[in-house]
Amino acid sequence: MGRPQYGHSRQFEADRLVRAALWLAALALGLSFSPITPAATTLKLVEVITSPERTETLKSIVKTFEDANPDVRVEITSLSWGPSFEKFATMVAAGDTPDVVEMPDVWLGLYANNGALESLEPYLKTWPHTQELNQRTLQLARMVRNTAYMLPYGFYLRALYYSKKLFAAAGVSVPPRTLDEFVAVSKKVSSLPGKYGYCLRGGAGGVNAWMMFGAVANGSDAFFKDDGSSTFTDPGWIKGFNTLADIYKSGFAPKDSVNWGYNDIIAGFYSGTCAMIENDPDALIAIAERMKPDEYGIAPWIKGPSDKSFPTIGYTGWSMFANSKHKDLAWKLIATLDGVPGNLVWNRRIGALPIYTAAAKDPLYTDVRFKAWFDELNDPNVVPMVMPVDLRAWALFASSIVPRTSQSLLLGRITATEMAQQWAQAMTKAKQSQK
Amino acid sequence: MNARGRRIAIGAEPYLYTAPVLILIAAVLLVPLGVGLSYAFRDIQLLDPFSGGFVGVDHFRELASDRSFRAALYNTLIWTGASVALQFIFGLVLALLLNREFPGRRLVQALVFLPWAVPTFLVGLDWAWLFNPVVGPLPGWLFAVKLTHDTNNLLAAPGTALIGPIVASIWWGIPFFAITNLAALQSIPKDLYESASIDGASVFKQFRSITLPLLAPTLAITILLRTVWVANFADLIVVMTDGGPADSTQTVASYIFTVAFRRLDFGYASSIAAVLLILLFIYALAILSLRRLIMQRQS
Amino acid sequence: MLRRTLYWSSHYLLIGLYVLFALFPLFWLIKVALTPNDLLYSEGIRLWPSRTSLEHFRFVLAHSEFPLFFRNSLIVSAGTAVSVTLVSAAGGYGLSRFTFRGKPLLVALMLITQMFPLVMLVAPMFRLLAPIGLTNSLTGLVIVYTAFNAPFATFLMQSFFDAIPKELEEAAMIDGATRFGAFRRIILPLTLPGIAATGGFVFTAAWSELLFALMLNSSSRASTFPVGLLSFVSKFSVDFGQMMAAGVLALIPACLFFFLIQRYLVRGLTAGAVKG
Repeated sequence: MGRPQYGHSRQFEADRLVRAALWLAALALGLSFSPITPAATTLKLVEVITSPERTETLKSIVKTFEDANPDVRVEITSLSWGPSFEKFATMVAAGDTPDVVEMPDVWLGLYANNGALESLEPYLKTWPHTQELNQRTLQLARMVRNTAYMLPYGFYLRALYYSKKLFAAAGVSVPPRTLDEFVAVSKKVSSLPGKYGYCLRGGAGGVNAWMMFGAVANGSDAFFKDDGSSTFTDPGWIKGFNTLADIYKSGFAPKDSVNWGYNDIIAGFYSGTCAMIENDPDALIAIAERMKPDEYGIAPWIKGPSDKSFPTIGYTGWSMFANSKHKDLAWKLIATLDGVPGNLVWNRRIGALPIYTAAAKDPLYTDVRFKAWFDELNDPNVVPMVMPVDLRAWALFASSIVPRTSQSLLLGRITATEMAQQWAQAMTKAKQSQK
Repeated sequence: MNARGRRIAIGAEPYLYTAPVLILIAAVLLVPLGVGLSYAFRDIQLLDPFSGGFVGVDHFRELASDRSFRAALYNTLIWTGASVALQFIFGLVLALLLNREFPGRRLVQALVFLPWAVPTFLVGLDWAWLFNPVVGPLPGWLFAVKLTHDTNNLLAAPGTALIGPIVASIWWGIPFFAITNLAALQSIPKDLYESASIDGASVFKQFRSITLPLLAPTLAITILLRTVWVANFADLIVVMTDGGPADSTQTVASYIFTVAFRRLDFGYASSIAAVLLILLFIYALAILSLRRLIMQRQS
Repeated sequence: MLRRTLYWSSHYLLIGLYVLFALFPLFWLIKVALTPNDLLYSEGIRLWPSRTSLEHFRFVLAHSEFPLFFRNSLIVSAGTAVSVTLVSAAGGYGLSRFTFRGKPLLVALMLITQMFPLVMLVAPMFRLLAPIGLTNSLTGLVIVYTAFNAPFATFLMQSFFDAIPKELEEAAMIDGATRFGAFRRIILPLTLPGIAATGGFVFTAAWSELLFALMLNSSSRASTFPVGLLSFVSKFSVDFGQMMAAGVLALIPACLFFFLIQRYLVRGLTAGAVKG
């Protein structure tokens, strides 16, 4: 019969394809090998709250360090902010650790308690700038076991952002100063069609709001009694939780907001959907880009029946890994990032409150928009509330237990008392396992 | 080559053809898989260097009484069932439509396959925007055709939240079934249809007695694989609802992610994954036996 | 006659609905990418913004590292598609033509690799690849993606080979060709549609993969574009406009690829081969 005659051109084409494929594969493999650049010493720096402009500023400060130390190269790894927690945890677990890492306060308890970080105390003793740091800086740096496992670069204090536009439309002339005024103002704004009083952060990262409302109603920010059990089941806390939940249930916050994260509340604010958010100075950067100065204002956080206010204070800084092979150099890098003028350049970019006492006079902070925060810092009745980030289990509590249970509360599936009980249980357990 | 050598060579042939695939998956996948499964029997806290002790079946015991897991299992059934069934039906219909020649077919084909090219992260974001009453048209439209009572976001209410990821996964997954079914349809020799219509068989009868049986082996494999993938697929849910609100869209896959990367408890997460693996394996065996039955009946 | 018009009009109607359904979300992506920032929320529901702007595209191309990510994705996806096709064609042929001891085991192993949630594989795989320098590298990604996609591709190829009668290569072998020669010259050309479909799938799977690209690579030198898309979500500005613009740009090669591939899908089998 003979061989089938078809397919001559087909065979040719198939051959050509196979050959092209092999070339492509070789090319791909060849291109994927990247050249390795040698350096005398390489320090690895990881940033975790990445944004393009911030990275530029970081690179410029790092460059001053490299110029001052000619045979040292700093390799900067910028992790995408969203999955940075998971990504960094994976890297560390697999042994890919940096020398210096940006350490948010909520991560501190986790890494410090697991022995991953190096104590900075010996370095701080001999550092000339240590005296210039304000009290809070060192106090917060030493949150875990009274040892400085990180050096903060700035503070994030909550204040009340409000939309002057929406207030004017609703007939509100001054921002609310107390809890009751807050609810009343929310109600007024929500009576405008399609508008709401409060941008609730029901999803990830919403724990601060719950704490702020709770503590303000409670009149105290003590998380634990003397015996180490949690105070969340005290009637004051529960009243605060209920107030916040009622704001949502009464429709003073958008229905959607049960799922909202950071970006959603900021977008809700500058798009004019909701009139108030509580947030840190760095939100100013995003908001100032989208709103004109006369469209929004910033006021100190509300006070409760005891005339005290408890805005949460957070902080981020730089830490050194305990297994770093270049500890002294790593400290020098931290000193550059946190020193003068590095720190001020940094804070100008990221909008955090200063760690240096003298910096309060810097023109950046005398801007009228920062007035609310400095008012808060100078008011004796305003007690910045520090979250119990020294607890190893805090990260889990804040990122998993709080959203789940608070969403159940907002949706009416559980009561505020039940939520408080679950939180108290988790917190007491966390405190006890800490010992 | 002598006769014995040739016999050895022929005997070795199947192994030579399948060796590359086997070596690749053994080295790159099976080893980490084994390690991952072993975590199920140990206490692995991701960042605690002192963890790692053997705990036997403790995790599984914890799993048996874990309410969140049972809820997640239920959600997974709905999520997987609805997604796969609807993708498959719509994909098959599309393949049948494209199997006929008509003007513009090539263009249409290229267009309807586009969703598969979009990364799932972007798919989730895109659909989340479409469902968002502030920036998306869907709430308004759904309200206008009286499918919903208000213009709120479907994703924010526990009863309807799962619909969002399901629709997104259907949109993304139709091309998969359409392409595989189309390619399989095109391998059916056309003269089978010709002789059938000469014999007077109607379109439906041709479909039932020619198309379906010849398509069945491919269908079985694609449905099997797609089900397994969808069951394991947490991306869309994590991006669109993060398991919320209040865990109403938490599936086993997203629960594993939460336990592994938020609780950082890799031991417990591995035990959940192991259970999922067993369930899916049983399902796979069932489908494969079905497939063999169909193929035996054909020959 | 009436029946035929009824058939064809419903045919076109359905096709139209499918095209609309497939394209509308993509249209929305483009619409957001072309909406200037100040109108993004105020005109969110409109089908088309009152003012369009190319600012997002310009930013993405000029200021971000997007071109680098694009190139990396291209390398990784092409490399994966090619490797998978080679490996799975061989494997699929072996599964299709032979029954051998160990075949059920091989099939079972391949299935099992698909059933384990990928999330759990991240940590062990990182530990495996880091010591041999395959993390933070595109080669490492290609190897991992090839391994992931090989089982599915092999099964797919097996189905395509199953549809070609064994008699074809047996006839050739009787005439003195080796099996491999018959495979290359006769069987492979006939399965060009199948190979094209498989290659197309794998390319897009690799193109859109996020989890491993994110977890195995940290430096932007080795980042693919899905990872790059994440960088548009930062604490300071969620630039959805830019993200959508980057997404639209990244879709273009995938679309082009499909456009080229489906030419092969249209060509069916030559039914005439067996008739002789």
